[in-house]
Amino acid sequence: MRLFLHLIKLSILEQATYRTALVAGLVTNFFWGFFRAAVIVALYNGRSEVNGLTLEGALTYIAIGQAMIAFLSLFGTFDLMTTVYSGSIASDLIRPVPLFVLWMARDLGHSLVNLVVRGLLLLLFFALFYPVVMPESLLGWVWTILALAASWLVSYAWRFLVNLAAFWTPDARGIGRGAYALSQLASGFIIPLRLYPEWFSRLCHLTPFPAMFNTGVEVYLGVVSGSQLGWALGVQGMWFIVLVFLSQIILRAGIRKLVIQGG
Amino acid sequence: MRHQLSLYLRLISIQLRSQMQFRVSFWTDVITTGLLNFSYFFSTYLVLQRFGSIAGWSVAEMAFLYGMIEISFGSMDMLFSGFDPDSFSRFIRQGLLDQVLLRPVSVALQIFGSAFVMRRLGRITQGALVLIFALVNLPVHWTPLKVGLLPVMWISQIAAMGALFMAGSTLTFWTVQRVEAINILTYGGVEVMSYPMTIYPRWLRGFFTYLIPFIFLNFYPALYILDKPDPLGLPAFSPFLAPLVGGVMLFLASRFWQVGLSHYQSTGT
Repeated sequence: MRLFLHLIKLSILEQATYRTALVAGLVTNFFWGFFRAAVIVALYNGRSEVNGLTLEGALTYIAIGQAMIAFLSLFGTFDLMTTVYSGSIASDLIRPVPLFVLWMARDLGHSLVNLVVRGLLLLLFFALFYPVVMPESLLGWVWTILALAASWLVSYAWRFLVNLAAFWTPDARGIGRGAYALSQLASGFIIPLRLYPEWFSRLCHLTPFPAMFNTGVEVYLGVVSGSQLGWALGVQGMWFIVLVFLSQIILRAGIRKLVIQGG
Repeated sequence: MRHQLSLYLRLISIQLRSQMQFRVSFWTDVITTGLLNFSYFFSTYLVLQRFGSIAGWSVAEMAFLYGMIEISFGSMDMLFSGFDPDSFSRFIRQGLLDQVLLRPVSVALQIFGSAFVMRRLGRITQGALVLIFALVNLPVHWTPLKVGLLPVMWISQIAAMGALFMAGSTLTFWTVQRVEAINILTYGGVEVMSYPMTIYPRWLRGFFTYLIPFIFLNFYPALYILDKPDPLGLPAFSPFLAPLVGGVMLFLASRFWQVGLSHYQSTGT
């Protein structure tokens, strides 16, 4: 555990050195929020509520999406893949920490920096221009933090799994892009899941992807409340466990196959 | 000129051969790139099942806007791959531009020939499919002028977006690091142009009318082709300004490129 915390700390320091990149990312995500908010306003076209999501709620949904791009790595990550190709995975494999945990610490450090800089700041700026709603009670905040933490876990496990494709093909980036396209669509990042036709959002809810994003935002907005809260978090936990389990099996098969070219 | 062209084609053919080395991963790349981009239209398509239209634009009309700009951006991204600020900044950082400067051929030509990202075919193809979907489902009253406007839009959009790539790369002569803010105009431009411009707040629309006049590249020609009334009351020639916008932007960008190039200082790597 102490090692885990230390790894996180290193990763935080690493990420925090890229200050200009952080600010540039913040600015880009922020402006994109404007473009996307305009689409939502036009879609609502005067309606105050659609399928349980108010206009303010939908705008906040978009703002959180933009704010969480970096925290939840919604566009995907390819770092583990790169180490398979460069061969530096060899030194990671002989470390006294499981690969899954090692990368989790590295990923979490980056994410935490991004949560503060590109997440909270973006929400604050966005609130100057658009109505941004917030949980009404302290308990609401607690549930939100839990749900977002669970979202992060599911997102991490999913990305870890996708990266393992590198063990089987010389360029898994294409597969990665496809996989992340799917998760962006089905997680609600592109458009809030509630605004899709019923059949499609129901289809999405059969996949792990809503647990990566949609659940966290709906808990924040209070759209999911009361007795549904425990259920929603349970589903997130279930998907995390499933993804971890899957990735461990695949990782084991991958390592057996792995050949590191000397150098 | 002919020499230059054959040199360019030669450089590109080398690029293509190297990209085709891993055939399977090349095609998965093409397909997944296409799917990635298509997922954006697909979600618009789905959401319009619930809402019917956006700012008075039906699914098929939205498909027209989207398909057009996607084809153009994909083509531009392929043609101007070398000027992609992301890859060009690497060129600068690693000092590769020094080699380029030593050769007795135009620098711009070499940069054009330095990359040709074939997997953009995926993006172009999905854009083309969406455009076909639009044209099949829309009762367009075709006239020679409307038919001619389609390729003009395409070329103008390529020129305008390419100009932004070029300008973005030129900035790295000073900054060395890529300037991420340019993405708001390039990738953001595609996003903005794939929707009817009336949905944007007045200040944003003003920006895209008078400063970076994206509004004339896709929205106005589309209004004309689809026989939709102009909701903004701009002059009647507005649908035909695309080539002017594309031409001027590309001209300005190439001048800027020349200025930047003469200010280039190697990183020494």
